[in-house]
Amino acid sequence: MIPFQFITAFLLVFMGLYAFLYKRNLLKLILALDVIDSGIHLLFISFGYRLENNVLPTAPIYTGYETVKAPMVGPLPQALVLTSIVIGVCVLSLAVALTINAYRHYGSLDVNKLRRLRG
Amino acid sequence: MSVLPLVIIIPLLGAFSLPIVGLLGKRIREAWALLISGATLGVTSKLLYNVWSTKETLVYTLGAKSPIGQGVNFPVRIVWEVDLLSAIMAFTIAFVAFLAVLYSIEYMKHDTGLEKYYVLILVLELGMLGIVLTGDIFNFYVFLEIMSIASYALVAFRNDTWEGIEAGIKYMFVGSLASSFILLGIALLYGQYGTLTMAYLAEKMEANFTLTGKIALAFLIGGLLFKSGAVPVHMWLADAHPAAPSSISAMLSGLVIKAGGVYVIARIAFSVFGMAVNMKTLGWVIIFFACLTLIVGNAMAVVQTDMKRLLAFSSVGQIGYILLGLGIGLAAYGTKVGEIATAGAIYHTVNHAIIKALLFMIAGVVLHELGTKDLNELSGLAKAMPKTTFAFIIGAAAIIGLPPLNGFASKWLLYESSALFNPFLGAIAIIGTAFCTAAYIRVLYTFLGRPSEKVMDAKEPGAAMLLPIFVLVAAIIIMGLFPWQISNKIMIPAASMLANIKGYVMAVMGGA
Repeated sequence: MIPFQFITAFLLVFMGLYAFLYKRNLLKLILALDVIDSGIHLLFISFGYRLENNVLPTAPIYTGYETVKAPMVGPLPQALVLTSIVIGVCVLSLAVALTINAYRHYGSLDVNKLRRLRG
Repeated sequence: MSVLPLVIIIPLLGAFSLPIVGLLGKRIREAWALLISGATLGVTSKLLYNVWSTKETLVYTLGAKSPIGQGVNFPVRIVWEVDLLSAIMAFTIAFVAFLAVLYSIEYMKHDTGLEKYYVLILVLELGMLGIVLTGDIFNFYVFLEIMSIASYALVAFRNDTWEGIEAGIKYMFVGSLASSFILLGIALLYGQYGTLTMAYLAEKMEANFTLTGKIALAFLIGGLLFKSGAVPVHMWLADAHPAAPSSISAMLSGLVIKAGGVYVIARIAFSVFGMAVNMKTLGWVIIFFACLTLIVGNAMAVVQTDMKRLLAFSSVGQIGYILLGLGIGLAAYGTKVGEIATAGAIYHTVNHAIIKALLFMIAGVVLHELGTKDLNELSGLAKAMPKTTFAFIIGAAAIIGLPPLNGFASKWLLYESSALFNPFLGAIAIIGTAFCTAAYIRVLYTFLGRPSEKVMDAKEPGAAMLLPIFVLVAAIIIMGLFPWQISNKIMIPAASMLANIKGYVMAVMGGA
């Protein structure tokens, strides 16, 4: 059986893709990219989740880990997601900056209006 | 002490110290950018020489002596892994980036915000160098995003014009979607195999290649085809490359689509998935896209009236040739034909980087001096700008593949291998060249035609713009004089090192 986190992650990815393909507002497109990224992040994080002997896992904090009886959450995916979130913020801020500039030049946030270049 | 870390350290330090150094004055800022890119060029040429003379894969582990973790027998650390293909790419990147910085000094003279421009151009170089050096698949993603964000910002650098903004937005959305696909592929690979080191992934996938691995491969190749501008997802390229400042167009068309697209396709198809996947199928998938790209890109170039747009479509067409060589190299893996095709693809990557950088710089000269890139207004340019026209003739002849120039050797390797592999593919490659010839003959015909009013009072550009152009012309002619020596001494060994997947894996894994 596919764990529910994976299904949620892919639902998020496909929701983002749907919005990316069918929405025409620049801000909605930026949000769509963010939703896709969130889905991938959720997928990454859920790879680190382990359920052994029906004991919930603990967070990967290393002080006093000898006394913890439960399995540990994989720390690597969390580091990866943190990196990916930082990258996502960069892209997001650049996208918003470009959108502001586009509004200044075109007076609209509709992607269909951004058609002055041939092709 | 290996030179490998310096390849990243120098541009990284140089890029972010540039605004501080730039406080001392405009001249010092430019000199600093030039110094940093020159130092990077020096380091990468040392790297290329080291790898070429030893023919060994260099491995550098971040933060430790060995990539293998303590008490376990698998790699846990981030590694950089450099074989001859990576070293050739790194050298090409540093060479073209150095000339682009030199060219920008005069070309961007009238723009404001130049400290941001030079930071971004060095970060762009850094991202590409990181991509070609890395041996860790998430590290690759991070460098890919560094490169992509810098190139989005540079395409939209002139934010007072609608052209740059519109192209930047299109490029940014398509590029971010492609990056998301690549990240999804990496996530699936991590979830299935629990590692991010390319060599260890290859070993694990050879043992057990699952459906998830195949889906991940599809996402990765899909995203990378987006990034390399293959047909049918090439439209962003034809918008973004002409809208950027010409020095950036030279880097985007010459380097970014190769380092961030074609090189990674080669690395992933050969070194990571090579032992697991059915090479023949993967090769034919790439050949299919290559043929489409080859025909559509070159044919679209013929009908353009905007000079930079013509060059951008021509880039799409030339990417088709490189993908064709790679595809044949995969489909005919292990045979002599496959090796020649891969060598041709690598050779053409280097040649096209040099030629397309030259052509975009010339388009920039024309734009700078005349204020237009519309071919209908440029009639008779040869009278007013003989040096520029001469450089353009050399570049056009080289990209078509005329014998005394460097384009000939690489295209010959590609025609030869494709005709031996499947005559039908050879015919497609020749048809692509016919379209390419038509497009460039049209530009030359315009340049050499009757002078129009507008062109009469044009002048040659200053020395800082002519110097990089003539360095590139010299490179084209010198490489053209020794075509078979270069292909036998450098390109064929690079292809056989790329095809030696076990060697790539063993370099990290050791004897384990």
